[in-house]
Amino acid sequence: MHVVVCAKQIPDPANPGRLSPDTHTLVREGKLVLDDSDAYGVELGLQLAEATGGEVTLVSMAPHDETSGLRTALAMGAARAILVSDDALAGSDALSTAKVLAAAVRRAEPDLVLTATESTDGYTGTVPVQLAELLGMPSVSFAKRLAVKDGVVHADRQTEAGYDEVEVPLPAVVSVTAGVVEPRYPSFKGIMAAKNKPIERLGLSDLGIDPATVGLAGARQEVVSVVAAEARDAGEIVVDEGDAHERIVAFLEQLKVI
Amino acid sequence: MTDFDEPAETAMLRESVAKVTAEFGPRYYQERAARGGRTIELWQALGDAGFVGVNLPERYGGGGGGVAQLAVVCEETAAGGCPLLLLLVSSAISGEILSRHGSEEQQARWLPGLASGREKMVFAITEPDAGSNSHRISTTATRDGDDWVLTGTKYYISGVDEAPRMLVVARTSTEGRSGGDSSDLSLFVVDTNAPGLDRTPIPVEVGAPEKQFQLHFDAVRVGPDRLVGTAGDGLRLVFSGLNPERIAGAAICTGIGRYALAKAAGYARDRQVWGQPIGAHQGVSHPLAAAAIGVELARLMTEKAAWLHDHDRPAGEASNMAKFAAADAGLGALDAAIQVHGGNGMASDYRLAHLWGMLRLLRIAPVSREMILNYVAQHTLGLPRSY
Repeated sequence: MHVVVCAKQIPDPANPGRLSPDTHTLVREGKLVLDDSDAYGVELGLQLAEATGGEVTLVSMAPHDETSGLRTALAMGAARAILVSDDALAGSDALSTAKVLAAAVRRAEPDLVLTATESTDGYTGTVPVQLAELLGMPSVSFAKRLAVKDGVVHADRQTEAGYDEVEVPLPAVVSVTAGVVEPRYPSFKGIMAAKNKPIERLGLSDLGIDPATVGLAGARQEVVSVVAAEARDAGEIVVDEGDAHERIVAFLEQLKVI
Repeated sequence: MTDFDEPAETAMLRESVAKVTAEFGPRYYQERAARGGRTIELWQALGDAGFVGVNLPERYGGGGGGVAQLAVVCEETAAGGCPLLLLLVSSAISGEILSRHGSEEQQARWLPGLASGREKMVFAITEPDAGSNSHRISTTATRDGDDWVLTGTKYYISGVDEAPRMLVVARTSTEGRSGGDSSDLSLFVVDTNAPGLDRTPIPVEVGAPEKQFQLHFDAVRVGPDRLVGTAGDGLRLVFSGLNPERIAGAAICTGIGRYALAKAAGYARDRQVWGQPIGAHQGVSHPLAAAAIGVELARLMTEKAAWLHDHDRPAGEASNMAKFAAADAGLGALDAAIQVHGGNGMASDYRLAHLWGMLRLLRIAPVSREMILNYVAQHTLGLPRSY
């Protein structure tokens, strides 16, 4: 089975992010890292591919031909990557991103497309279903367990109340939750092998996409202002004078959690 | 000009080792050490990812990297609060000696276990009357038919309880030669459960999970297949493992130094006594800054020594200097970190003070500070030999 995993490369979440004062979009300079939430899709893709003798192709859209996050996923075991990088893509909204990813995914002709439920730096959570729609594939979102048998995806789809058991035929787009599998860490052999794995670098013209329809120019969504989140109150500090447990229990009862 | 860009692969190796280590963490290490336990699970996880045998040949399951990569593994595990002494014994000394001097058959037999982390091979050279002076080794290996029979005593041998086999340096009686000549030394692979081999733990205040042993060889018999290299060539073989051992030891020290400084800096940023973080006071920040400089300089020399060794250049001077600088820098960093923590610095929950023993040990072993100064005085500065 050929699995495509959409892998986002994001500014290192360990460092404080910065928004551009003009466009209110995230500044993406310097080294990017593989979004942790995509590591689950990469791992699941690898497990499915390994079980069926297939391979994993990564698809990513990132500025400045950035590949360091892709190298991490290649070191985990993906066979190759397709990277779309184009100056005209700066400021793309979720739909533009989905258009670009769809065009790149089509080239790879996958049996299954895996994504995270949302990225760690964007959080719209809309790209996976947009991607499925553009590809004309069925979509399952929030899969917390996934198996493929006889051309059919069997997924447990997380809901607020529990989970739904869902089946869709391949090819399909499935977004997976953190914890669907435990991602491996790149082994030394994986790290060394990743050096020589192919990364196909594409621009908008390679995908036949009009620059006016993507990026800031084509964005249908505009961030008009950004305000700092209100600082949360410090909360109540209970100093134990022998009755701390009673006060904590009273507090939890008041919240109706016990 | 020298290139100081760290290759992407090295950065990824660092990150991956750090993540595997973080699954276990300082608390795991501290508890194992305190209860006399071992750190087998961490070793195995590192082995599974190919990190324990990163420097061993690919054809035997190793990573095909060098001591530079092994030093990264040593440093990042230590920086994650889990310094692993046996990396410098099993992967650095035994692994390097076997890879360079073992026969095809010996390599095929023992290297895969070392590479996967399933087996360790420890190293026995030190004796009660032969510490830094290996010329005085008195454990003998006597020929008996095709076999060799080992008799003598070794001490301060690390991790014998964790390894099925060890490399033993013994004096092979050579006709026409008198004792006390280093050309009489040979290297043998001996099973740690061999009949006639008795081991006694030596209680130490190191506070590490790895235990120290005294070994008595009472006519321990090994077959001819256990001799590494040729008889009488042992000391030359041992020397090929000593620089990797020093480099690995240095990397453990700088790793502990980084661990201590990260903890101390975090504490000094958060802790407020007079309305501002204590790190704003230079009495607090300067010792940490000075320690950071020491650790960073030692890291540079450690990387240089590893590069020289991996490129088959003379690496003795750089390895010695790296080990000297790293042990001092690591201890300096840990001491500064403990001081910044005040009374908390000695508290078990702050997970600093228990690492003192390992660093203090690495100031003595595998080669003492003083022997390094002797080496540098004699070889770097051309001063007369002092002993």
